[in-house]
Amino acid sequence: MSFKLTECMMSKKKFNSRNVTCMIFEGISYVAATITVLILILIIGKIAIEAIPSLTPYFLLTPESKTKGFGGGIANAVVGTFLIATISTMLATPFAVGTAIYLKKYSKDGFLVRSFSFMIDVLAGTPSIVLGIFGLMFLVFYTGFFTGGFSLMTGSIALSILILPVIERAAEEALDTVPSDIEEASYALGANKWETISKVTIPYALSGIITGIILSAGRAAGESAVVILTAGYSQFLPEFKVASSEKLVFGIKVYPFQDLVGTLPINIYHAYQFPNLVSPSEGFAAAFVLIVIVMVINVVTRLIVWRHRIG
Amino acid sequence: MTDYSKIQLKLPHLFFFTCASATALIALFFVGFLVYTALPVFQSQGIINFITGTEWNYSKEVYGIGTFIYGTALVTIVTLFIAVPLSLFTAIFLAEYASENVARKVRPMIELLVGIPSVIYGIFGLYVLENIYQDYVNHFLSSTLGFLPLFENVNPNTGSGVLLASTVLSIMILPTVTAISEDSLRSVSRHYREASFAMGATHWETIRRVVLPVASKGILAAITLGTMRAMGETMAIVMLLGTSQRMPSSLLETGYAMTSKILTDIGFYVADEGPRSALFGIAVVLFAIEMVFVGIARSLGGRK
Repeated sequence: MSFKLTECMMSKKKFNSRNVTCMIFEGISYVAATITVLILILIIGKIAIEAIPSLTPYFLLTPESKTKGFGGGIANAVVGTFLIATISTMLATPFAVGTAIYLKKYSKDGFLVRSFSFMIDVLAGTPSIVLGIFGLMFLVFYTGFFTGGFSLMTGSIALSILILPVIERAAEEALDTVPSDIEEASYALGANKWETISKVTIPYALSGIITGIILSAGRAAGESAVVILTAGYSQFLPEFKVASSEKLVFGIKVYPFQDLVGTLPINIYHAYQFPNLVSPSEGFAAAFVLIVIVMVINVVTRLIVWRHRIG
Repeated sequence: MTDYSKIQLKLPHLFFFTCASATALIALFFVGFLVYTALPVFQSQGIINFITGTEWNYSKEVYGIGTFIYGTALVTIVTLFIAVPLSLFTAIFLAEYASENVARKVRPMIELLVGIPSVIYGIFGLYVLENIYQDYVNHFLSSTLGFLPLFENVNPNTGSGVLLASTVLSIMILPTVTAISEDSLRSVSRHYREASFAMGATHWETIRRVVLPVASKGILAAITLGTMRAMGETMAIVMLLGTSQRMPSSLLETGYAMTSKILTDIGFYVADEGPRSALFGIAVVLFAIEMVFVGIARSLGGRK
C-alpha cells in the first residue's frame, strides 16, 4: 500500500458528502500523525542545535567542582546518574520480579491478587513529587543517621520505590507470554512446581523481564523531582572511601553511598534555577547527554527483544 | 528424599510470598506515612476547608489549597483538549490508514517521546517555546480571540502560563495516549470492519460508527492514564506555569499547581510541623485523586 489520501474516492468514485467527509477525516489523521512526528524531530533537533556550542570534551569529562562556578562540566553528574540508576534498579528488581512470580504462579486467592495488583497500580500512578517528599521526610530526616541524609543511598531507595511497579508490570506481562503447553509438558515429565518455574517459565520470560528492568533504569536516570529531594546535588565526582563521621550509625561514612551525589536532571534544572550562572546552552547540553543515555538504553532493549525473536 | 523435595517446594513459595508481602508493606507504609504526617493539618483546618479554602498563609497558619487544585485542574483540562484529538487521530492513522511499513517507522519515534525526561520538556518549553509564545502565539490569540476573557493577554511580558504549560504537558502525554489507543483500535475484530464495509459504509463511517465505539473503553483508559501523568507532573509545571498564587481566569495567565507548591515550599518548611503537614496535605489530596483515577482506569480494563 502506498500513500493513498484519496482512498475514499477510489472506492466509490462518487463525489458525494459521505465520501468528502471520509476524505476530510483521512486527511486529518495524516496531518495529526505528521504533527506528532514533527514535534519529535523539532524537540530533538532544537536541543541538539542549542547543545552543540557547549558540547565539548572538556564539558563532558570535567566534574563541575574543577570548573569555575556552575554548569561548566558534567562528568560528576554522568557518573552519578549511572550510579543512581544502576543501584535503584538493582534494589527494585528482586522485589518486583518476586512479586510478579508470586502473583502469577503461586497465589490462588482472587481477593489477595486483586488487592496486591490494585496496590501496585496505585504505586505506579503515584506522582513523583509525592514520593519525593516521602523520601525527604522519612529517608533523609527520620532515618538520616543510617542513609546519610541527602545521599546516593537515599536517592536510590526512593527511586527504587518509583520503578518497582514498572518492573513488576513488565515481569507480569513477560510471564503471561509463556505458553501453558510447555509448562504442562514440564509437569508431565515429573518436574515439580519450582523446577518448572526455574527451568521452564523463567528462562522463557527472561528477555521480557530484562527488557522491563533496563527500561526502568532509563526511567530512573531521567527522574528529577524525586532525586532533587532525596539525593541532593554535589559538584564533586563520587569517590570510594570510608571516613569517620559522628552523625552516622557506626561512626563511619561510606562514600559514595552516604554522600551527596550529582545527577544530570538536576544539572538541567539548574539552568532554570540559576539562569545567571548556568547558560541555556549548558542546560541543553546536559539535556542532550541525558537523552542520548536514555536512547542508548532503549536501543539496547530493542536489541534484546529482537535477538529473542530471532532466536 | 521426601523431606528434600518438600523443602524444594516450600522454600520458593515462601521466598516469593515474602517478596510480594514486602512490596505490599512498602506501599502501605508509604500511604500510612503520608496520611500520618498530613493529619495535623486536616485536624486544624478541617478537610472541607483545606480543600476549598483559597488562602495559604504560613504566618497566619491558614491553609487552603483551592487555588492549587484549580490550577492543576485547569492545566489538566487544557492539556486534554490539546492532546486527545491529536493523539486519537495519530492512533487512528497508525491503526487504520498507515501501511505496516510506515507504522513500523512512526511507532518507535513516538515511543522515543516517552523516554525524554520531564525536566528536559521543562527547559525546552522555557527556553524555546516561551519566547515564541510571548512574541507570537499569545499576541495572536489575544488579538483574534481577546474579546473572550479566556484569551486575555494579562501579562504581555511573559510567555509562561496555562497555555504554555498545557502545550508541553500535551506533548508529554501524547505518546501514552496514542500507544494505548492504537492498541485498543487494533484489537477490534476484523469481522466488524468487514461487516460494516459490506453494508456499504465508507472507511471513515466504519471508524466512526464501528471501530471507535468498540474501542472506546480502551481509549478512555488511555485518556485516564494520560490525565494522571499530566496531574502528577512537577518539573515542567514549575518552570512553565509560574508560581503566582491566584486563580488564572485567562489561559495566558500564570498560576500555581499542587505539585509545584509542594516542590517550591517543602525545602523551606520541612522542619516546621505546621507548614510541613500542610504540604503533606496537598500530597495526600493529590494521591487520593490519583487513586480515584487508578480505580477508573482499572474498571475500564486498561491496565498498564
